[in-house]
Amino acid sequence: MRDKLMIGRMIPTGSRIHGLDPRAKIAAMLLFTAALILSDGWLPVVALAVLAAVVLAATRIPLKTYLRAMRPLRWLMLFVFLFQWFGGTGAGNADEAVWAWTFGPVALTSSGLSEALLAVSRMALLIVFTALLTFTTAPSMLSRGVEGLIKPLARRGTGAERFSLMMRLALRFIPALLEEAQTILKAQAARGTDYEEMNLREKARLLLSLLVPVTVGAFRRAEELTTSLEARGYRIGAPRTAYRGLAWHSADTWFTLLFALLPIAALALRLTV
Amino acid sequence: MRGWIKRRAAGKRNSEKRLDGRNPVGVAPDSVSCPQMAADRSETVIELTDTDYTYQAGSPFAAAALYGVNIRIRRGTLVGIAGGTGSGKSTLLQLLNGLLLPTGGSVRVLDHMLVPGLHKPKLNALRRRVGLSFQFPEQHLFEDTVEKDLMFGPLNFGIPREQAQAQAVEALHAMKLDESLLKRHPLTLSGGQMRKAAIASVLAAGPEILMLDEPTATLDSAARRELILLLARLCREEGRTILVVTHRIEELLEVADEWIVMHEGRAVFQGDADELGDRADELDRWGIAVPEPLKCWAEWTARLPQLAALPLPRTAQEMARRIAEAVHQSANPSSSEEEAGDLGRLEASVCATN
Repeated sequence: MRDKLMIGRMIPTGSRIHGLDPRAKIAAMLLFTAALILSDGWLPVVALAVLAAVVLAATRIPLKTYLRAMRPLRWLMLFVFLFQWFGGTGAGNADEAVWAWTFGPVALTSSGLSEALLAVSRMALLIVFTALLTFTTAPSMLSRGVEGLIKPLARRGTGAERFSLMMRLALRFIPALLEEAQTILKAQAARGTDYEEMNLREKARLLLSLLVPVTVGAFRRAEELTTSLEARGYRIGAPRTAYRGLAWHSADTWFTLLFALLPIAALALRLTV
Repeated sequence: MRGWIKRRAAGKRNSEKRLDGRNPVGVAPDSVSCPQMAADRSETVIELTDTDYTYQAGSPFAAAALYGVNIRIRRGTLVGIAGGTGSGKSTLLQLLNGLLLPTGGSVRVLDHMLVPGLHKPKLNALRRRVGLSFQFPEQHLFEDTVEKDLMFGPLNFGIPREQAQAQAVEALHAMKLDESLLKRHPLTLSGGQMRKAAIASVLAAGPEILMLDEPTATLDSAARRELILLLARLCREEGRTILVVTHRIEELLEVADEWIVMHEGRAVFQGDADELGDRADELDRWGIAVPEPLKCWAEWTARLPQLAALPLPRTAQEMARRIAEAVHQSANPSSSEEEAGDLGRLEASVCATN
């Protein structure tokens, strides 16, 4: 189960991207997403893809790993592609198309195909860039980054700290709960539940049987965790020093500025063309 | 040099011992199993040949857990598997009933052969014959009554309901649990009961090979001893092959026929308790605390060289008696066994230090 879940786990290679401040990387990801949404047509998407490829190469993580991260969403991408092609906006503009086939109410056109491919490419770029953020940033640094970014927004109180603690614990619980579910599945397999020999109904019943022990386990863990946090003197809002402080360097500024240009450029391109 | 001589001596002792059958055990001699099982004992039921296992092989998170493991286990033996944290003990157990498939080499269990790259193998026939009880009983029990949990395995293996029910009750009795527990929710049992119920849930399917991952963790010392003796009885009386992962060697010393030591993914030792005793000085390097009885025996064998020729005593009483005899002989080479009173006192004092 965990083998298939790639997003959310760091792969240390010691690249320059790994060394960037998490705030810069999160901001870059948000700006990149904004640019993707604003970009209209192949030119800006290809330009963004080239930039993404350069950044991916700089992480020194093999391209294969990014492709694997996309794997769980392949059916969704296929669905988006087919939906766009069959019923998307591009399908209607039969006059602009180089070629067009009409089967009753469904019109397949070259422009529709292009639109559909564009939608899928946007989605792929978005996934790859999100994967890049989690592959190059440790979960603790990621939540520190989020805390750092939302602090100016939450002017008073302990909102930012609460949010970052919640996020950190949630991130910590995902692999723990998956592991627990996997252990129970293994215990069931050891006693003869062979998935290969089961029908869908039996599989569903088996997955339901996981619900109680995993929920009980999650509550137990949560309770133990809060007690242990309290026992070690953790209080929300109490002054606290950081184990690893965030340090903003000039590279972070340049990185963020580069990405800040993207949505501006995309918007400008959209308005001029 | 000295180690080599000791090992030679140990080899000789072993060949002598194999002639007369089994090691001394902590159960009554008349409970030793039936002759048919004794005849089968030469059969190798588990055979690992250059077995490797890597978690998430081929991904950036790949982590090798076992390297070139070679192990042979005979039918009807009780095998202790020791090793520090992360040494590959639990991975080894999961390979033996096909929960994990080897990424290199081969694993033969009974008449099933597991090799890398098997595509969707049908493993239920193997799992019926090889039971595995996991480290944490609360992760092992998932149904809403103990009875359903005990019947889960037998029903999956196609045993009719009435028979499965009977087997569940039988397994409960074998683990010395009361029938009133059958209707309880597994998570409401005490720690010791839950552990025994988890083992019973595996036993209910009637496996020939029973594997337990740290069965005595979280039990108090009396419950621990009771469980170990129960396991020994399952092995001796019913002829089951039992593999127990432990990091407390001393608790199994009395009953284990054989030991496997895992260290950093390799099987660095396989042999009986005598051979393990001879290599006690290496245990530390393998990340295992040297058990008190081995330490004590090593101290006495250094003091009284005639003890080195004897096999490692399995119980505190036996050790005390041997040391007392040797002390008596070295103090009084000519005297016979008349001074039983002195011996008794010495025995008592050694027992106390154990």
